[in-house]
Amino acid sequence: DIGCGNGKYLSTNPKVWMHGCDRSPNLLQHCTANKHDVLVADALELPYKSSAFDAAISIAVIHHLSTEERRVAALKEALRVVRPGGVLLVYNWALEQEGRFGGFKEQDQLIPWHLNKKFGTDVVGHGEKAEEKHCVVYKRFYHLFKEGETERLFEAAGGNTVRQSYYDHANWCAIVEKQALSM
Amino acid sequence: ANMILLTHNMMVSPMKEASKTLPLKIEAEEVQELEKEFNLVFLVKIIDRLDWAGFLEASAILNQQGLPSSTEEIDKTNEESMRKLHHALMEVDVVTGALVCTETGRRFPIAGGIPNMLLNQDEL
Repeated sequence: DIGCGNGKYLSTNPKVWMHGCDRSPNLLQHCTANKHDVLVADALELPYKSSAFDAAISIAVIHHLSTEERRVAALKEALRVVRPGGVLLVYNWALEQEGRFGGFKEQDQLIPWHLNKKFGTDVVGHGEKAEEKHCVVYKRFYHLFKEGETERLFEAAGGNTVRQSYYDHANWCAIVEKQALSM
Repeated sequence: ANMILLTHNMMVSPMKEASKTLPLKIEAEEVQELEKEFNLVFLVKIIDRLDWAGFLEASAILNQQGLPSSTEEIDKTNEESMRKLHHALMEVDVVTGALVCTETGRRFPIAGGIPNMLLNQDEL
C-alpha cells in the first residue's frame, strides 16, 4: 500500500501479506498502521526490490504530487515494485466531483484541512489560525484529475495495460496489469 | 509496527547510486520475538520469492541458526523445519537498529519497528 496513511487498508485481506509505506512517520504510528509491517518512504523512491509484490495499491496519493512529471514517475515506481503480470490499483480525486470538494474549475488546488481542536490549537509548520472555528487550518495540495487523465498518465508511464477504469465516489480509478517485458 | 525478515527480503536501498538489487545490511540493537500464525500454504509460496542468500545472511545476524543452506534442501513436509523457517522469516522483529546500504554506506534508522527510508534533500 503506497501511501498507506493510518493503515486503514492494511487489514483488508488477512490471507495476504501486505506491506505499507507512507511519507508521514506520524501517520504510521497511528494504532492501526502500527499493528502492521510498515515503513517511512517517498512514493518516488520506493525501498522495495523490483517485481517484489503480486499487487499494489495507491489510494488518494498521486494527486498530491505537484507536477505531471512527478505523477508519472510515481506510477513508474509503483509499477516497478509489482511483478510482471501483477496488478496496480490507483485512485485519484476527480475534478468533476460534486459535493464538498466539487465545483472546482482549476485542477491544481490548495484544499483546507481543519485540525480537530482536541489535537491542539498551536500553529505548527504552514498552518494558519481559522478564527471563526478557533482551530488550525492546513492547506493541502491536490491536483484534481480529469476524466481520462489517469489512463493517459499510465500510458506515459509505459509497461502496463489498463484492465479497468471507472469513477468511484468522486475518484477516477484504474486497475492496470504490469507487462511481462520492460522495467 | 514490526521489521521482520520477510520485509527485509523485499527491500533494497533507495539511494540513487545503489543498484536496487542488493539486500540492505541489518544492524540490530533491540530485537523482539513475535507470535504469528503458522501458515504452511503461504510459507511454501513465499519461499519462491525470497532471495535465499540474503535471507540466510540476515538470519545469521539475528542469531537464527539451523536453516537450510539452499531452497532445494527445504523439506516442505517436515513440520519442525518449516516452523523454524516460519519463525526466522515472520517472528523475529528488529525494533531498533538500522538498515545499511552496502553500496553507499548510508544508514537508514529503524525505530519502533519502523524503518525510515526517506532520502535527505541533498540525496535526491
